[in-house]
This record gives sequence, C-alpha cells and structure tokens, in this order.
Amino acid sequence: MATIVKMPKLGTTMTEGTIVKWLKNEGDPVEKGEIYVEIQTDKVNIEDEAEASGILRKIIVKEGETVKVGEPIAIIAEADEELPDLEVVEDVADGKQEESASVLTQEEDKIAEAIEAVPGKIKASPAAKRVAREKQIDLSDVTPSGPGGRIVERDVLAYIQEHKVRATPVAKKIAIKEQIDLGSLQKAPGERITKEDLEERLIEQEIVDTIPVTGMRKIIADSMAYSKQVAPHIYLSLEVDMSKVIDLRERLIPLVQSHRDVKLSYNHILIKAVATALKLNPLINSSFTEEKIILKQNINIGLAVALEDGLIVPVIKDADKKGLAVIAKETQELIQKAKTKKLLPDDYQGGTFTITNLGMFDIENFCAIINQPETAILAVGKIIKKPVVVDDEITIRPMMNLTLSCDHRAIDGAVGAKFLQNVKQILEEPMNMLL
Amino acid sequence: MAEKLYIEALREGLREEMIRDENVFIIGEDVGLYGGAFGVTKGLFEEFGENRIIDTPISEAAIAGAAVGAALCGMRPVAEIMFFDFFTIAMDQLVNQGAKNRYMFGGKAKVPMVIRGPMGCGTGAAAQHSQSFPSVLAHFPGLKLVMPATPYDVKGLIKSAIRDDNPVVFAEHKLLYWTKGEVPEGDYTVPIGKADVKRQGKDITIVAGSIMVPRSLEAAQKLEEEGIDVEVMDIRSLKPLDLQTVVSSVKKTGRVLIVEDDPISYGWGAEVAAGIVGSEAFDYLDAPVKRLAGLDIPIPYNPNLEKHAVPQVPNIIDAVKEVLR
Repeated sequence: MATIVKMPKLGTTMTEGTIVKWLKNEGDPVEKGEIYVEIQTDKVNIEDEAEASGILRKIIVKEGETVKVGEPIAIIAEADEELPDLEVVEDVADGKQEESASVLTQEEDKIAEAIEAVPGKIKASPAAKRVAREKQIDLSDVTPSGPGGRIVERDVLAYIQEHKVRATPVAKKIAIKEQIDLGSLQKAPGERITKEDLEERLIEQEIVDTIPVTGMRKIIADSMAYSKQVAPHIYLSLEVDMSKVIDLRERLIPLVQSHRDVKLSYNHILIKAVATALKLNPLINSSFTEEKIILKQNINIGLAVALEDGLIVPVIKDADKKGLAVIAKETQELIQKAKTKKLLPDDYQGGTFTITNLGMFDIENFCAIINQPETAILAVGKIIKKPVVVDDEITIRPMMNLTLSCDHRAIDGAVGAKFLQNVKQILEEPMNMLL
Repeated sequence: MAEKLYIEALREGLREEMIRDENVFIIGEDVGLYGGAFGVTKGLFEEFGENRIIDTPISEAAIAGAAVGAALCGMRPVAEIMFFDFFTIAMDQLVNQGAKNRYMFGGKAKVPMVIRGPMGCGTGAAAQHSQSFPSVLAHFPGLKLVMPATPYDVKGLIKSAIRDDNPVVFAEHKLLYWTKGEVPEGDYTVPIGKADVKRQGKDITIVAGSIMVPRSLEAAQKLEEEGIDVEVMDIRSLKPLDLQTVVSSVKKTGRVLIVEDDPISYGWGAEVAAGIVGSEAFDYLDAPVKRLAGLDIPIPYNPNLEKHAVPQVPNIIDAVKEVLR
C-alpha cells in the first residue's frame, strides 16, 4: 500500500520544515528505518528515517522548499502500484480537501468566521435557541459545533443528554409539585433520584415564610453592619442601685399624671439622667468623621423602640433642658407615633445619643451597636433585687446593669467610664438632676 | 400502472379534456399537423381537426390575445408558446388583459385559459430559447402558475388548469418531456396550489421545482449512501404557493435548501425562504436557509458553460452537505 509521507514533527516547537537534501532519488528503493532525507527545522538539521519500505516513487517537496508539519512530502509505494491521485495529494497539500465546486463555500466560511462575535450575544440557530428556551438551558453553557462557532440544536441536545438527571417517576412528580430542581440533587452517575431523596430535601428546606430585606429591614441591616465595620466598639459595664429612682418615681407618678396625663416610667428618668450626664461629658455627645470629632450643642436622646417588624429610634430633643413631665409626655407621644408608623422624619432624626432598654424582657445586661454617626449607646437591663454589700453589710438592693458601647475612634475607655460613672451617680442620687 | 413519458402524459391530459369538454381547444405555432415544436400535440390535429387545433402565424401576442378573448367568450383555450422565452411577447395580452379582466369586471367576466410552454436550458438552444423565468409570471396578481415535474403531475395538473376559471401559466421543462413515470389511465386531477413531498427524509428539506425535482431526487439518492436522509419537496405550484407544506417539512428537518432553475436574483426561492423565516418554522431552523439557483447570466451556448449556468446534481449534493455542516 502506498504511504504518503508527511513532514514529521521533529521537536515540540517545530511548525514547519525545509527539505535540505533527498538522499534517495525518485525510483530508488528505501528500507523502513533507512535514512533517506535531510530536514531542517528552525533549530537543527535532522536526518530522517523512512517510515515504510518500498520505492521512493514520488518526491512532492523539492530540496530547499519549506512546508508545514503534516503536509505530504513524498510517496513510498511498490514499484508497480498505482499511485494515489497526485492532484488529490496536492490539494491536500494546499489544505483543499474538497473539489473546486466547494471553493465558494470555503470563501463564504472565511467571511462568516471573519465576522467577529458580537459581545454579549450568543451565536445560536433558532432551533437551538428554541430548545434551550423550552428546556431552560443557558446557551452560554453549551459548546458550539456548528460552522463559525454557531450553537446548533444537536449541541443543546448533547448538553441535555450530558446533564440529564435520572429520577423515578414519583420523584419527578414531587419535584414538579414542590418546585425542586432535580439537578441540585446530584447522585452518583447512573443512580436515580428517588422519592426518599426528595423527602429528605423537603425536610432540610422546610421554610415557614420568607421576609424580603427591603424598607426598614434593609436600613437596619445596612446601618448595623456599617457601624460594626467602621466603629471599633468598647464596652463598659456597671451596676446601679435604683432604690432612690424607684422611690422618686413612685412619688412623681401622681404628679406627672396630673400635670401631663402620662405615667412616668424608668425610661423617662433614664433619659433625664443621661441628658444630665451628657452635659458634663460633651465628648460623648458627638459624632465621628475621618477629619474631626464633632461635639454637639444640643442633647437629643434617642430611645430605641421595638416594632412588630423592626426597630426605630425616635428622638427627644434637648432632653437636658426639659423637665421629667415634658420628657415623659413627649416620649409617650413619640412611642405611640412609632407604633402606629406615624413618625415624621423630624421625630427620628438629629439624635446625639441613644438609649436602648431590654429590661422588660428580663434581660440583665447586653451590648448594643452604636447608632451611627453617634459615638455611644447605652444598653439598659432589668432592675433586679440583688444582695449587695453596703457599709460592709449584705443587703438587698434593686440593681440595674448599664452597658455603654463607645466608638473607640472618638471615645477612650476612661472618657466613657467617667460618663457612665456620672450616670450611675445621678441615678443613685437623683437630686443631681436638679443641679 | 403504465409508465409513460412526461410528454405523453401531457398529451393524454389535453386529449381527455378535449373529449370531455367541447369548449377546450388548442392554439399555437405549428401545433396542428406538425404536432408542435416538441411534439406535445402530435396526433391531436388528426383527431380533433382544424377547428379545435388551431395553427397561428408567428405572433405570441396574437396567440395570447386570441386565447384571452376566446376565454372571455366562454371557451377554454390552451395556448402553446413554442419556447418559454417568447412569453415576453405575449406579456401584454396575458398580464394586462388576461390577468386583470376578472377583477376589472367585478367578477362578471372570467378568463378560463391555459398558456403553456417549455422552459429551461440543457439542449444547446442558446440564450433566447433556454430561459426559465416562472417567478416573473408568478409575480402578477390574477395569474396562476404551475410547473409539474413528473408525468403523473403533468397530466393531473393540465386537467386542473383547463378546468380552472382563471388564466393558468403552465411551465414545462424541455428536459422533462422525455422523463418517464407512472401515469394512471383515465381521469384524475392534481390540485393547483399544493406542494408535494416526493421523498420523505429527516435531515434536510430540499424545496425544488420543475427539472430540479428529479435532480434533487437523484442527489438525495446519492446522499443516502452517505447516511444523509433528504426530504425532497416539489413546490409544483408557484401561485398559489403552498407554504404550509414547506413549513411543516422544515419544522421536521430544521434545515432547508431551495433549488431553482431560474436565475437566483428575485427568484421564487427568495419568496419561499422569506415565507419560512417568517413562519413558525423559524424556531426550528438549525442552519441558515440556503438557496441554490441559476447564475445571474443569460444561458450560454457553449455546452460546458450552459451546464454550469444552473444547478446540477453534484452542486445539490455539495449544497446539502454545506447546510448540514
């Protein structure tokens, strides 16, 4: 059988070779393994061995000529054998495997392939697009096999076949009903997804409800995450003996009631006490920016109010300048407005310090996240009767934990501690509020 | 069923219609004793006489005009144009009169005439005796146009054309006259406006007309040896055009090659291609619609060049493979 000898690849980087010298002439016999041609690569001259025995019937590439690797250079065949059609061989050499009739076709191909792919557009036949649409397949996952990189129908079908999920009919039914993507339940190849697999999944993902993260939820999520990211929090904690506050409150309740028709609460007293302490510690009543710490003139105390679906902080403005009855009245009105979602922007903007109290939920102490751009927040726990040592004697006192979160960028530990100590002093001797 | 030549089947259809309806008559150049330039009417003069087989002077305008007039008066003329090329001379009578009368008289007039003639190259008859331009005539409202490709269809369609109350252009192809096929004895008709699947296949639809139908069938047979399953659709009637049958086939195969004998520019294949792309078959196309048609040149006299002027079997094979790449 005739052997069409091709330009060999004589090195990993060799892409073309030059015939330096034919050591045999056309018509000479050659033995397999015999050196019969000298080839020059980009690096060296190599003597190449014949890959078949026979007669060197035809030299296609003459001495001094260069061709690409893989192109025919000679034909070795039996003496009387009919040679393969030289034209065909030469056509192959030119990279033309089809007859001249298809020249136009190839030209068209070149044009088609010269047209650059449009960015963001996937080249696919309408049929491929239809199948992809029907089977919900992303065409960008499919490997094209059509001319010019076109995805054709068979490519999509092949993709489906490859990614086919095998499942029992019952499993398929459940999957449709429960809207479970069978593809997400990967099993070992050849193994079918069963009813049990789906039930397992259903238990895993039993969802009672979903809550969209929009509106207030989104604001809370964003501002809390932001505060924890930018502000290094330090936490200072102490306990306050609330005996005198309790006593004061009991005596003030009827007065405030008659004055302002509102029941005085511990929060109201806390607001007043904190406002008084802030006046003594102006650095706590501030906001932090990269360039400067801004000390605020007005003391506007925010009070965190839990709502059914979130949290809002209405602000009692100039709390240091207001008496307890006014604070009580305003606070009650603001909480009412907050719960009925009637707060106006002015009601919850402009705060300079925030108090958050979870005592009503029996929380003894907790650490709050600073409400940016403020620099501190006071977390208030439940008043609990505890045995404490007073004048070297164990006695029972109503104690309340306060935890101050400070933004350490603006407030150092001692500064925060002094403020908190002042709050404690005021609460333990409420007459301080009158000073 | 007897095998007959296309020309015999056509003659049989004409004869049976002349026996069936005395209003049917034939008019044309040398259609009488000579039997027509290609012999279509051979023997009819002897059977029906000079009143029903009428020889005319060399004037296609006169032939067409006389046919339109006779049809308006209630006759059913079959006018022969010796070469399809000469339709150009008959155009005014055919297009401006025959095609419009029914509309211009609000339906009170009708023009039940057939005008037929052989088109196409391949006989070495040079540029003025070799053209195929059925698309041109299919353009005009009021004319119907059929181009049967088989002996069976030519007999059935000539009967439908004669019985139709509108002018029907009946385009034959010279090379088809001597092709053979089964033709039933006696009366049957093939409807105008219905394409016909001549070969079932699943890989690609070839939509062909006239002489390109047997060529496409031959190509399909050769492609079958390579495992390519070709559906061959004979469009058969250009006006009305049966797009629905084409669309159904393309929906099945997803690939289509249209093979025409006319020069490619503004040919009927463009009409079919537009119909496919604009139909529900669009979503089933898996490759661009391809047309293979005659070159945009007058038919050359040189036999080698003449052969290359219109698609031949190897060209159809190549084109199919290209669409299937």
